[in-house]
Amino acid sequence: MKPRFNRRDFLKLAGLAPLSFAAPRLLRTLQAAGQGSDAPRNVIVVVFDAFSAYNISTYGYERETTPNISRLSKRAIIYRNHFAGGNFTTPGTASLLTGVLPWTHRAFLPNSEVAEPFVTRNIFGAFENHYRIAYTHNGWAYTLLKQFHAAIDELIPREKLLLGSYDTIVEELFRNDDDIAPVSWIRDMKIKEGGYAYSLFLSHLYESLQEKQVEKLKPLYPRGLPTTGSDNGFLLETAVQTIGARLPEIPQPFLGYFHFLPPHYPYRTSREFFNAFKADGFNPIEKPIDIFARRVMKFLPARRAEYDEFILYCDQEFGKLYDSLEASGILKNSWLILTSDHGEMFERGISGHSTDALYQPVIRVPLMIFEPGREQGMDIHEYTSAVDVLPTLAHLAGEQIPEWGEGVILPPFTSSSRIPERNIYLMRANSNDQYAPLTIASTTLMRENFKLHYYFGYAEVPSEGLVKLFDIQADPEEMTDLAAAKPETASELLVELKAKIKQVNEPYL
Amino acid sequence: MANSMTRRYSRQGLWTLFLMCAFPLHAWTLLLAFRDLSWLTERTNAWDAVGVASYGLVFAFVESVIIFLLAALLGFLVSDGWEPERRIAVMSVLVLIASFWAIVSQLFFLFGVSLPGSVIYSLAQIPHPVRVLYAITFLIVAPTLLIPALMVLRSDKSYQATRSLIDRLSLLTTFYLLFDVAGLLIVIIRNLS
Repeated sequence: MKPRFNRRDFLKLAGLAPLSFAAPRLLRTLQAAGQGSDAPRNVIVVVFDAFSAYNISTYGYERETTPNISRLSKRAIIYRNHFAGGNFTTPGTASLLTGVLPWTHRAFLPNSEVAEPFVTRNIFGAFENHYRIAYTHNGWAYTLLKQFHAAIDELIPREKLLLGSYDTIVEELFRNDDDIAPVSWIRDMKIKEGGYAYSLFLSHLYESLQEKQVEKLKPLYPRGLPTTGSDNGFLLETAVQTIGARLPEIPQPFLGYFHFLPPHYPYRTSREFFNAFKADGFNPIEKPIDIFARRVMKFLPARRAEYDEFILYCDQEFGKLYDSLEASGILKNSWLILTSDHGEMFERGISGHSTDALYQPVIRVPLMIFEPGREQGMDIHEYTSAVDVLPTLAHLAGEQIPEWGEGVILPPFTSSSRIPERNIYLMRANSNDQYAPLTIASTTLMRENFKLHYYFGYAEVPSEGLVKLFDIQADPEEMTDLAAAKPETASELLVELKAKIKQVNEPYL
Repeated sequence: MANSMTRRYSRQGLWTLFLMCAFPLHAWTLLLAFRDLSWLTERTNAWDAVGVASYGLVFAFVESVIIFLLAALLGFLVSDGWEPERRIAVMSVLVLIASFWAIVSQLFFLFGVSLPGSVIYSLAQIPHPVRVLYAITFLIVAPTLLIPALMVLRSDKSYQATRSLIDRLSLLTTFYLLFDVAGLLIVIIRNLS
């Protein structure tokens, strides 16, 4: 019987093999060429957690922490006075994603979720004509992404890009209870987190198996592998490579939200940047110990240096991500946004961001927009807020501007060159009940040159509250409290802030 | 194999050994789960807090089975010259003491106890401090495991005392197993919704 498929046929087909390898790339190129300039573009949001503008050299920090970002930002729009929605992950991320302030979305408690209306009113719901993909290392940000999952086409499981983790098994096994089953698993098995676990024996076995998996990587991270707070190590490189490889494969236009944990504590930079700032002579301004400082922390300069070295690692990986997206051609048709959910501080006796204080380093974050085809950089000095990001991106991507948003479309993308005068608000209330009027909170209002701090309900402050006023243009380090010297300004801003608090409290009275 | 198994263990003996493996694991899990209940309730809600405890109990049951299997296998190393009940008592004592030390090691972290600075400093001066720590730990733990085991084997008084302890703990552990059933039901309900 004559074979149906002879040697000649095989060779003919084999000749087509290189074409089959090239086909996806050719098709993508043709697809991109077929899209006119009016076709919706992709949007890629990159968030580095706890990334303070104060410590970024592109934003004027004395230490050279971001050489790559500085190089790339020559083609970017840089918002010089951009503020997060809160001073830790949950409120900061929720404001970025919903376009409203924490007192509206109500996710201001640690690891809390947004109020029910914002389960659909968020960036993913707004980008309904885009393929929506998201990833985060951060467990609290992941809580929010899971809450929004119905509007996300591809939510990459958090554990997928963590090292030495068997946790995905638990998530898979208890898929319908993927909030609580992993929490119990952590309490059961992860002895490293608190030094104890429910399991007396298997936790040690689990630990040694994990250790074995990451043993080879340890010399590359002299301070230990970056972790998520529990014992799951991860490499930023892995996340950057995975995302850089995935984006060219997904349908366009897409919205990508990628929230990386570094430079969040623990500050564990790679070997390349280890001790890069050790004894470099850097001498930050000495500031008075704050009322919210728990104790005088002598290790703050060393902690700051470790944080700055961790930023170098983030900067390097952002540069790699940018270069890989540029090489794949994705950036020709994509808006790339670099920002953060909150800042970090190493002054006034406070380390990190677990503080009720709202000084600039803990709330002022970077915002850079890399526009396709832009060759010239641009600086925007007006005050902008995390809540402005959603309407701006919706506008840029050709989606409908959400009517619920509290932000504005940012310049230079509006018809007017300036934002109408407005107040920038920010709050922290992680001891307050989630759905009750604000009675214990830290708030700020920024307008023109001034920033008003108003703290109330805390044991550390007087019963009428604590008010501070700073001229953040003339005194960006917030060294001179003007509340006594400029009582009219302080009083005027305080009245406005209290009126706003009264307004947001009304639904919960 | 079947003959060897029945010669070494009775069904009642295996059940007792299982209960002795389950006791410390469940007691520790329940202790920590109750400790976690308040902050978990505060962070999420009471149902989620109960959920965490329920998973903990289910995992504790699985761990109990694994430890029981290991202990039963280890029992084959004990000479079959001793009567089966005595071998069960020996294995039970070994499991209970090993669990006690595992709990002690975790209590150090729970209560924030650490070695005095001078000891840490002295350890840091020697070439292999971790090995030395392991050796010291072994020297402390090994006698506390072996001496009671030998006493149960050789002294009738110790054996009777152990039997009495096992009887009391068995009853308590049976209650723990009821908690396991409740925990399993809660896990199933949570995963059905």
